[in-house]
Amino acid sequence: MTRACLLLLAVTALVAQPAAEVKRPAPARGAAGSNAAAAGASYKDLKYPPLHQPEIPKVDAATLGNGMRLYLLEDHELPLIEGTALVRTGTLLDPPDKAGLANLTVTLMRSGGAGSLAPDQVDDRLEDLAGTVETTVGPDSATFTFSSLKESSAEVLAIFKAVLTAPQFSDEKIEQARADARNAIAHRNDDAGRVAHRELADSLFGRDTPLGREPDYASVSNIQRGDLEAFHTRYFFPRNIQLAIRGDFDSARMKAQIDTLFGGWHADQPPPEFPKLPPAPADAPGIHVAVKKDVSQTFFAIGQIGGTRNEKDYAALEILADILGGDASNRLAQSVRAHSSQATVSARWEAGYNLPGLFEISGSITSVTTAASLKAIQEEVARIRSSEVTDEELRVAKDAAINSLVFAFDTKAKILDRVLTDAYYGYPADFIDQYQNALAAVTRADVLRVARERLKPETFATVLVGDPADFIPPVESLNQPVQKIDLTIPEVKITPVKPDTASLAKGRDLLTRLQEAVGGLGKLAAVKDSILVATYLVEQAGHVTTIKHTERWLAPMHYREENELGGGTITSYYDGQFGWITVPGGSVPLIGDTLQQMQGNAFRQMQLLLQGGTLPGTAANAVDSRTVEITGPNGQWARVSADPVTGLPARIRYQGFARSGPPPLMEENWSDFREVAGIKVPFKIFITEDGRKYADVTVNEFRVNSGLKLADLEKRP
Amino acid sequence: MLLAGAALSLQAQNLADFEKQVTEFTLPNGLHFIVVERHEAPVVSFETLVNVGSADDTSGETGLAHLLEMLAFEGTESVGTRDWPAESHALDAVEEAADKLEAERNKGHQADASKLDILDAEMKVAIGRAQSYVIPNQYPQILQQNGAVDMGASASYDSTEVRYSLPSNRLELWFLMESQRFLHPVLREFYRQRERMAEENRGKVETSPQASLARTLLATAFETGPYRNPELGWAGDLATLRASRAKAFFDKYYVAGNLTITMVGDVNPADARRLAERYFGPLPTRPVPAPPNRQEPPQNGPRTVEVYTQTPPFLMVAYKRPDMYDKDDPVFEVIRLILSNGRTGLLSKRLVEEKGLARSAQMFTPFPRGRYPNLALFYLVPSPSHTVSENERGLAEVLAAMETQDVEPELLARAKTQARATILRGLANNAGLASSLALYQAEYGNWRKLFTSLDDLNKVTAQDVQRVARQYFVINGRTVAIAGQPGAGGGESR
Repeated sequence: MTRACLLLLAVTALVAQPAAEVKRPAPARGAAGSNAAAAGASYKDLKYPPLHQPEIPKVDAATLGNGMRLYLLEDHELPLIEGTALVRTGTLLDPPDKAGLANLTVTLMRSGGAGSLAPDQVDDRLEDLAGTVETTVGPDSATFTFSSLKESSAEVLAIFKAVLTAPQFSDEKIEQARADARNAIAHRNDDAGRVAHRELADSLFGRDTPLGREPDYASVSNIQRGDLEAFHTRYFFPRNIQLAIRGDFDSARMKAQIDTLFGGWHADQPPPEFPKLPPAPADAPGIHVAVKKDVSQTFFAIGQIGGTRNEKDYAALEILADILGGDASNRLAQSVRAHSSQATVSARWEAGYNLPGLFEISGSITSVTTAASLKAIQEEVARIRSSEVTDEELRVAKDAAINSLVFAFDTKAKILDRVLTDAYYGYPADFIDQYQNALAAVTRADVLRVARERLKPETFATVLVGDPADFIPPVESLNQPVQKIDLTIPEVKITPVKPDTASLAKGRDLLTRLQEAVGGLGKLAAVKDSILVATYLVEQAGHVTTIKHTERWLAPMHYREENELGGGTITSYYDGQFGWITVPGGSVPLIGDTLQQMQGNAFRQMQLLLQGGTLPGTAANAVDSRTVEITGPNGQWARVSADPVTGLPARIRYQGFARSGPPPLMEENWSDFREVAGIKVPFKIFITEDGRKYADVTVNEFRVNSGLKLADLEKRP
Repeated sequence: MLLAGAALSLQAQNLADFEKQVTEFTLPNGLHFIVVERHEAPVVSFETLVNVGSADDTSGETGLAHLLEMLAFEGTESVGTRDWPAESHALDAVEEAADKLEAERNKGHQADASKLDILDAEMKVAIGRAQSYVIPNQYPQILQQNGAVDMGASASYDSTEVRYSLPSNRLELWFLMESQRFLHPVLREFYRQRERMAEENRGKVETSPQASLARTLLATAFETGPYRNPELGWAGDLATLRASRAKAFFDKYYVAGNLTITMVGDVNPADARRLAERYFGPLPTRPVPAPPNRQEPPQNGPRTVEVYTQTPPFLMVAYKRPDMYDKDDPVFEVIRLILSNGRTGLLSKRLVEEKGLARSAQMFTPFPRGRYPNLALFYLVPSPSHTVSENERGLAEVLAAMETQDVEPELLARAKTQARATILRGLANNAGLASSLALYQAEYGNWRKLFTSLDDLNKVTAQDVQRVARQYFVINGRTVAIAGQPGAGGGESR
């Protein structure tokens, strides 16, 4: 132990001595001390007049002919009109292999164009009008909002309606939204505090359940346009929507306006049912360690599954959490700071309307104090379960909750929001009054009772995010099972679709049709060598670079590329196992990215790609009715979609390479097919990267079986 | 009732309507109050603004203004203590111990290491003693127990603010608690908060590479100007900040004439005035302190700085611009709205959507704040397949177009509509209004500027935009800061 550590211990011991030992000093010198007495009335002496009760304005409710619920509240203070629609849908309804679908759908309803407006036109019009339309989705509701200046509300409302009823889901924006979703996944472990919270929820609800499942690259890539359209059709219909509007309008007129706007919308579906939540997984209790070495503290989240707001003890449970770790007393902070002076810690009893929330104790602590801090937390939980809280603690917590309740109604926006939310979740209209009475009635005995009945320390999961090398002593000393959480994000962007007999058969079938469309398997298999010469116009930063590209291939797998740029030529060669790349400055073996890139390029030559499933190490599997996924011997994959009219391979997608960040999704659109040796080959290729234009390719020449020599391919420049 | 029935549109002629709800008064000691009546709900939002910020930090004591803000809710001589006379004595002992430690440390190389350890331990003991008199959290707890919500304190380069809302029958509680902060302040837990700030400072690099790069950018763009030093202070300065110096800083800046207080909500102005006289009247009349030295030597040539990080590269390109009192300030605001507001800002359109150069492209100005000459800042995150230099060139092209072509009339009109909507939406809640009024009053000496600034904005023409772009987006005012792995900036890595 270093000298500094010893001193620190000595100091801690000294500080721990009670203050009573300090001799009572003489009054402090100077003006400050003498003024203290004149500091005036104490806050304790203040008397407050009764609070005049706010007038709660009445909300007009109506049901349109098509079944949509409407709530209106006039508010003439400012020339603004704002609205919120709650839609009965949510991430709970994501198919397991398409986690992220609800989110992508509502994002694209807003960003992908709506009604007669293209995506950019929606943005432009809203910006012109200084209006907003925004969409979000939670586990069991989707929220669509708009805000508008009074003068332009008719047009903003029309856009809002188009977003709800007639989204376009433009392909370009789908790609962009997928890229954004992938980016979000790539960054999901940046913030240690959020990692702790997420991992706690996921371990308690179960990682393979609707509430504990996270989107990943695979699930996002599985989401196709058809999924978005189907999700929209299934959940966005008038009877499934409750719309609340507030602002500077006349209610009767607004109702007529909404009637006219939405009245002709008659879509209908059976009411959606949310899946039942499975019981908490057996391995949730215990310590879960997620290693994150780039943080100097340990971030933690400890908890269990909580409850809903309409349970009878909700108020008492909130008071309990507040005393344990709320703004007021925060017993936890006082105990933990004895070990870790810079610690932050708080406790919350989170309750949903219909879904259970979490009881969560979370914060951050100095890493070396991890075990000691956890122990202090356990002791505080045990203490609040073994003896009543003090009168003072109860009073402070109850006063704070009761006195601040007036802020639940202090604006018309909040009043209308409450009416809408209560109606959506089927809560009684006087729920807030019941809650207020319940708060007032909470006793010390209630707090102890609910602590005993509802806090189950033996079921607590504890998630630690940090560097376990700094946990002294290690958390194993706490006598709880310890598991590791792997934060690695699977690199695979689009994992192969799980093959089953049906999808493999369908894949073979799709591939056969593609082969036949280009000339048949026989013609493809007859190609023993090929030369392709093409011009690439690559867009970089608005500048176009011209590249002359030549590729030569000799069966079974000798592949050479030459790319002539302004500054010189880059040549690379791959023999099925190894290869090299030569630039004007020198030559290096193919490794890592460069190797994978060459393997991918070789694999995607049309005559080879379409033989996937018959060549060694390859397989074909159906993705949807017109897309087949072909995997190669080195883990390469490409998804080939057939043109619905000609049956020709029209669109190829695969994973590209990025200098930094997550790898982009490349898409090639093939056209201008011409026949060479009985095979139809594309002579025009348009390539996008993550949905943005990357290159225009014109094929100048394509020849097969011209007698290429291996020696020519292998030769270094 | 406030604005009832009469829609508040934002032309200057309608300012008269709003004025009917506003009462202003200044106490003899110079403290200015603005009261806005809004009786719809029994709540009041309060905002206290002190005209002091990190721009007022002096050399060697950077971080002090921010640290004082962090102490705002630590209590007073009557709140937060078990025994004020005893605590006061203990706090004096802390300063004595700190004096001794500082004296030994000031010997530099000749300082005795073991003596330093002992003095350091003695100081910790003194702090521990003082701490034993503290009732932690009592000040905010009293407010919360009375229903306070949205409590916050914040400090920027230009000002320090404390705000919260209370049920309106607690009006007097606010006067009592808030006036005590100025009449009988205690810099309680000073050294612990100093530690916390140092921790925040260290954490900044790992939690926010953006904030960290912005700090480097400011220190590069400015040699002496008020925005040169970081708000959280330089680590070396922080380690030596003293409670006694903080008290001197407080006494100098936290004076009646340097404060603006606003309250918006269910409050009777006559009551407010009576209570203000009773509770804030005793604040002494003191001279209003001088603003910081704003001298900045001329920049002769562009500046570039690279910071190596583990993150994907990103960059900040900044141009010097005049303060917010300059006639061109509204033009900069229009440029910002055109380039960077909402989803369709021109920067995002050109660099993100059309060219795919960037994942994100935004403009911030005034940056970091506006009272003194500051920056027009462009923040760019290159997309994975594009480089920092491509992004620099892309931005240069957008700015060059702005200098040579008239901005489209639709874009200009859009910017003005958006500015109006933003101000309108800001009026919707009491706390937002209290905050805006305090800020405009402090910055311009007249809260009406919140409304009339829109008239200035509406006068901006396409020619103004061109002229300002030409005048200020010039190489001699440019500073570029790049974060990323070595080589990301396009320069040599050796």
